[in-house]
Amino acid sequence: MNHVTTTESAVEVRDLHKTFRTGWPRPRLQPALRGVSFTVPRGAIFGVLGPNGAGKTTLLSILATLLVPDRGEARVLGLDVARDAHRIRQRINLSSGSASFLWSLSAQEILDVAARSYGLPARVRRPRVAALLEQFELTAHTRVPYNELSTGLKQRLALAKAFVNEPELLILDEPTVGLDPDISVRIREQIAELRRARRMTILLSTHYMREAEQLCDEVVFLRAGQILAGGDPDTLKREVLLGDRVELVVEGEGWRGLSELPGVLSCSSAEGRVQVVVDDARKRVPEIFRHLDERGVPVTDVTVTEPTLESVFIELAR
Amino acid sequence: MKTVTAGPAEWPASAGLEGELIKLSAFFLRSWRMSRRNAFTLFEIVFWPVVNLLSVGLLITFLRAEPSTVVFVLVGTFALSTVQVCQLDVAYAALFDMWSRSIKHQLVAPIRPWHLVLGSWLMGLVRGTAVFTLQAVVTYWVFGVSVVAHGLTPAIALLVGLLLSAAAVGLLVCTLLMVFGLRAEMSAWSGVSLVLLVCGVYYPVSLLPVPLQVIAAGVPLTHFLEAFRANLGYAPVFTTPLLRGYGLAVLYVAGGYALFAWAIHRARRTGMLLKLSD
Repeated sequence: MNHVTTTESAVEVRDLHKTFRTGWPRPRLQPALRGVSFTVPRGAIFGVLGPNGAGKTTLLSILATLLVPDRGEARVLGLDVARDAHRIRQRINLSSGSASFLWSLSAQEILDVAARSYGLPARVRRPRVAALLEQFELTAHTRVPYNELSTGLKQRLALAKAFVNEPELLILDEPTVGLDPDISVRIREQIAELRRARRMTILLSTHYMREAEQLCDEVVFLRAGQILAGGDPDTLKREVLLGDRVELVVEGEGWRGLSELPGVLSCSSAEGRVQVVVDDARKRVPEIFRHLDERGVPVTDVTVTEPTLESVFIELAR
Repeated sequence: MKTVTAGPAEWPASAGLEGELIKLSAFFLRSWRMSRRNAFTLFEIVFWPVVNLLSVGLLITFLRAEPSTVVFVLVGTFALSTVQVCQLDVAYAALFDMWSRSIKHQLVAPIRPWHLVLGSWLMGLVRGTAVFTLQAVVTYWVFGVSVVAHGLTPAIALLVGLLLSAAAVGLLVCTLLMVFGLRAEMSAWSGVSLVLLVCGVYYPVSLLPVPLQVIAAGVPLTHFLEAFRANLGYAPVFTTPLLRGYGLAVLYVAGGYALFAWAIHRARRTGMLLKLSD
């Protein structure tokens, strides 16, 4: 039976549920996903964000066919994760920040074993392994046993391993967790470059908001197994009604009428500084200045701050 | 950062038998490379089997046993060592990934359970045959008795039986590991001991009380040892031992494989696969 459906989505998830049972003889139920639904367009970098225990790894593991869902539907590249798991595995790959490999094998051997696991013949396998070692700057460490590699090199090797089968969908589970900032930056650059060069779909889980903001075309926020919000980062910031912050230093009380202006979400003052939250600073700041000017209120300083995904996350987590 | 090139269409994976054999080779080579770099491999295939063989051989010599009795006991000793070494290789199919916490990265690839166990068992064949041969040489050299005195065929039939038995034990160990995680690790080292009492490693099965003989009849190793020892003049308790031995071993390998495949599916359902990886 052919389960392939014609779709432009790389991933389609509908009402996905997963509950773990822990303990014996009386198992305790731990719901990990509670009705998750979303769609990932082909070629996008899609971020799954949330705090620890939100269900990010569970969700990505289901999509990587490492975990079977209890209820709901998940399709990867048009194939059902429950019925067509083996075919999906041919076309995806996974890398995680906590990846680990056999301690005595060298970087070259780890990639060779991984390439053989996908049935790649020698004429393909050898040049590909060599190319990956070079692309991920591991050539100097080809024969070093895995347990003697530094954390950054291990992480790069984990990423390189995820490319042995040239996946159409790459799943990255917390790829920079626990890394030094300089290595994290390099890994992020590498992910962005990989997408540009190969136009693959990347599903990325992270709890680093800056990483998501830098890389993702779309994100979903997960908490306690449910999606709290989703969309492209800019829209999301507005949807959560955080808006842009305009801080003004003004004299007198003439600012009080600002809250009546269109697009102003809130307005407050403390110690001579007026905080105005607006839906779009580029549109509203000229209107604010016009309003104050008409009332003869002089402005001695102005600062505009856009919200970050981090502030969206904090807002959603409340 | 280097520029990344090449796309999926350029390098397709091999389909059909070639692709399956390549996947199989991944696990044989993995075990081979791990084994080559592990100093304890020498202990597994040389030190412990030879020390065990010499201890038992010297004991039986001290007891002034007949040459045929010496062969009887020593064959049991090295049969046990061969099964132990070969089944360990099958168990390593799961253990290597569990010790290194890499099992989810292995099972995200499009491999079947048989690639994993058959590839590892092939390494077991190499190491098991090496242990069997080494012990046969030591037996001849130290105690002056030859396991091929009655021809090569009985010795090869015994070796093949032992390697099949090891596959069945190894699959059971892998299943336990996949269901209970590393809590079941001890089964890899002690699994063979379970059959030690009943399958007549050091004595004829006829010495056992009838209820234990019934259990012995269900263990392939019993029949392989009986078949070999029949050449030494020890009448087998059970008829057509080789046929029974191979029949049971094949049955257990098939059953063990079904259990292992079920255990992997169960691990995907319960989340054990993730627990074993992070």
